[in-house]
Amino acid sequence: MKRKLIAAVLTAAMAMSLVACGGAKDAGNAGGGDAAPAPAGGSVDQASGEFNLDKVVLVINGTLTANLENRQDAFVEQWQDAVGVPLEIQQVDHSGYADAVGRKFVGGDRMDVILLSADMYAQYAPTGALWDMTEAFENAKFHDKIKYPAVNENLYRDGKLYGFAPAYGNGCVTYVKKAWLDNVGIDPSTIKTFDDYYAMLEAFRDGDPDGDGSTGNTFGTIAAGYISEEAPYINYLPEFWQDAYPAILQDENGKWYDGFQTDASKAAIQRLAKGVADKVIDPTTLTNGTKDARESWFSNNQTGSAGAFTYWAGTWYQTLTDNLTKNEVDPEIVELEPIQEVGAYINREAPVFCIVDDGDGDNTREQAIFDKFFETMMDGGEVEMLWLYGAKGVHWSVDADDGFTTNPGTENEKVYGPYEQGQFHLLPTPNDPNSVWKKNAIDPALVIVPLEGEYAEYSDESSLMSEGNKFFTSHMKDAPSTPASELFTTYSSDIATARSKAIAAVVVDGKNVDEAMADYVNEVGDKVTQICDDLNAKAESK
Amino acid sequence: MSRRQPRMTSSGQPIRHTPLGTKMWNYRGYYLMFVPVVLFVIIMHYWPMLGVRFAFYNYRAFGAKTFIGLEHFRTMFGEKGFWTAFKNTLELSIWKLLITTLTAVVASVFLNEMNQMFAKKTLQTVIYLPHFMSWAVVAGIFSMILSPNAANGMVNGMLQDMGLKTQMFLQDKTLWRPIFYIINIWKETGWGTIIFLATLSGVNPELYEAADIDGATRMQKIWYVTVPALANTIVVVLILNLAKVMNLFESVFVLYNSAVMDVSDVISTFIYAKAFAANPNYGYSTAVGLFKSLVGGALVLICNALSKKVRGRGII
Repeated sequence: MKRKLIAAVLTAAMAMSLVACGGAKDAGNAGGGDAAPAPAGGSVDQASGEFNLDKVVLVINGTLTANLENRQDAFVEQWQDAVGVPLEIQQVDHSGYADAVGRKFVGGDRMDVILLSADMYAQYAPTGALWDMTEAFENAKFHDKIKYPAVNENLYRDGKLYGFAPAYGNGCVTYVKKAWLDNVGIDPSTIKTFDDYYAMLEAFRDGDPDGDGSTGNTFGTIAAGYISEEAPYINYLPEFWQDAYPAILQDENGKWYDGFQTDASKAAIQRLAKGVADKVIDPTTLTNGTKDARESWFSNNQTGSAGAFTYWAGTWYQTLTDNLTKNEVDPEIVELEPIQEVGAYINREAPVFCIVDDGDGDNTREQAIFDKFFETMMDGGEVEMLWLYGAKGVHWSVDADDGFTTNPGTENEKVYGPYEQGQFHLLPTPNDPNSVWKKNAIDPALVIVPLEGEYAEYSDESSLMSEGNKFFTSHMKDAPSTPASELFTTYSSDIATARSKAIAAVVVDGKNVDEAMADYVNEVGDKVTQICDDLNAKAESK
Repeated sequence: MSRRQPRMTSSGQPIRHTPLGTKMWNYRGYYLMFVPVVLFVIIMHYWPMLGVRFAFYNYRAFGAKTFIGLEHFRTMFGEKGFWTAFKNTLELSIWKLLITTLTAVVASVFLNEMNQMFAKKTLQTVIYLPHFMSWAVVAGIFSMILSPNAANGMVNGMLQDMGLKTQMFLQDKTLWRPIFYIINIWKETGWGTIIFLATLSGVNPELYEAADIDGATRMQKIWYVTVPALANTIVVVLILNLAKVMNLFESVFVLYNSAVMDVSDVISTFIYAKAFAANPNYGYSTAVGLFKSLVGGALVLICNALSKKVRGRGII
């Protein structure tokens, strides 16, 4: 009897586990695989005919700095209070974001709004996964208030707009540690050409720029890869890439070609190979992620570090300085003006917020998402402030207070405030009281719809972030457009891998650049040709 | 008309045949307990297998699936990267298997020779520990130790201090595989010794006593007693692991990079890259996966045949 009882209990337990495994899936709206178009997230109000959203699901990467550790709850609460719809944020790590979005599409996970990089936008735009928001955008209340219309005009694909960029792209500038320059006796204003730049890197390699008493244990520069995985590809080592742009791009006649197979790219790869062989580029660059490169640059132990580092402008100018301070390294850094061969730093194509099309042929739900999400994001007031600076009273304030002190009791102690009633000021970062909050998802200096009314005065012009943005905007040029075609989407990953292999073969193995390029052509040349032919045929048929 | 004779026991008693239905009723408790297991296996293991049909479809994240027959297989066999990955899978897996088995045997023999129990147990614990580390952690550790930045990488720092040329261990095509095998030895040798030590604990001590009487040295005892005692187990371990050679993924995925792809990309990483590309064709990834499974299945059958030949019984 006892044995039968145990058998029955075990049977029930296993049956329960099976039931649990087959739990209901969240209603999805992406058109992936076998997944039928999911039930729409909300209902139509019979009286008014308006669509009432049950919630908005936002999929975003680390761009939203108000993450879980930084009081995302306060941001969500204030957004919901202002907009009147629940907001669900699914935040994914930057490094695995493209994979995660792909998996969500295929898995049929519900996504209402997603943030896509320029590459991802180019890849997804032709697939039918994104809602055509052309009409909604052109009729938007904020449309006439946009001060940089070119940002979104560049996002049209075959006359249709599938995403909206609330800010222009931003880009990278080269930062150099001021103390290192002083130690090797170089005035940054004298660095005008690649030769000057290279001489500076050699001085960092040969001298004792970190002042530890020994020479030969430092590098000139460090980066996250010799070529970046996403557009604009060359922004982490612009001095070496110079006029080369190793991607499929258009010439002055509008004809598409492979920029990787040009003499300019070959010369750039040879410069990189020389830089690695001469040990002016940290050899970990090949395998570094952005986090590895950053942390090596501002590490507490400067032995083995590098003097120059090309990274994002604006916010990161402040963040890099903060990290050097935190690690007790001389925090003063210099923004290097672009050398002659570079001309200008590259302003990347802006990341875009897109609405996922539920594929039901009815635009009511998508239009409702546009109205609740995009219209409010660019309202010039309360909700735009949430996206620019975060939650009021948590990330920023206009209330009178005595201010605060960062790094108290250290030589880097800094006092902020006191502040008068109505004076806009940023508060300490929730998860790091020793640094001041900078921004939320949209960089205030880059936003395309300015704040209005009382909010127009809300800005922090005194910060390094603001100074960095001004520096970048005065030394930038726009990145070439990423092509959008189904063939490009299909083959882009294979081509990127082949490019990385060819570069590594020259830089690491010392292979002849022409042989490496021949291998590249042998591996993916047909695919590249197919893409260019397809794009050119489309261009001619217009 | 002859009547069928009932089967008899060895003592001449007739064997009584109980109908299957009666048997099931008699043991209904066990059968009831078994039902969820069957359901679990069907749902979790057999149901997903229906997905292999997508190997014959053009199946992307967006748009309709279309039947394309063997087109994916034609593309796959015509792709240079696939054959590189296939070759790398076999070479890396088989060499890894041989090397780690050999090191496990050697380590087991030496552990078996140790008389000081505390030292033996401590050493066993120390060499078992790496097995429990995830490959991501192992890759992080070795990336730091072997960093090409001599100021931070321990090995290159030592080379530099000795006046030798620094090396890009994990970025150099000629060095990547030896380093990969060394890392595998470090991680898996300890764990591999368990089965060999178990075998050695069953060796008849009289064999060693007889060898002592015959005047055998320690090395002769190892060579003529210990190693032969392990021979059957070594063959079994090799055969059983041979069936798994196509499954190489995690250890490669965390250690490879674009500079060494030609010598490190394996079938599983090849599938991963295809499956997580932008707008991937899942049909193609499934086709490569199906091919991998077929080769894996063939290896299992070959191993089974080898096992029957060597041990007198199969493994399946």
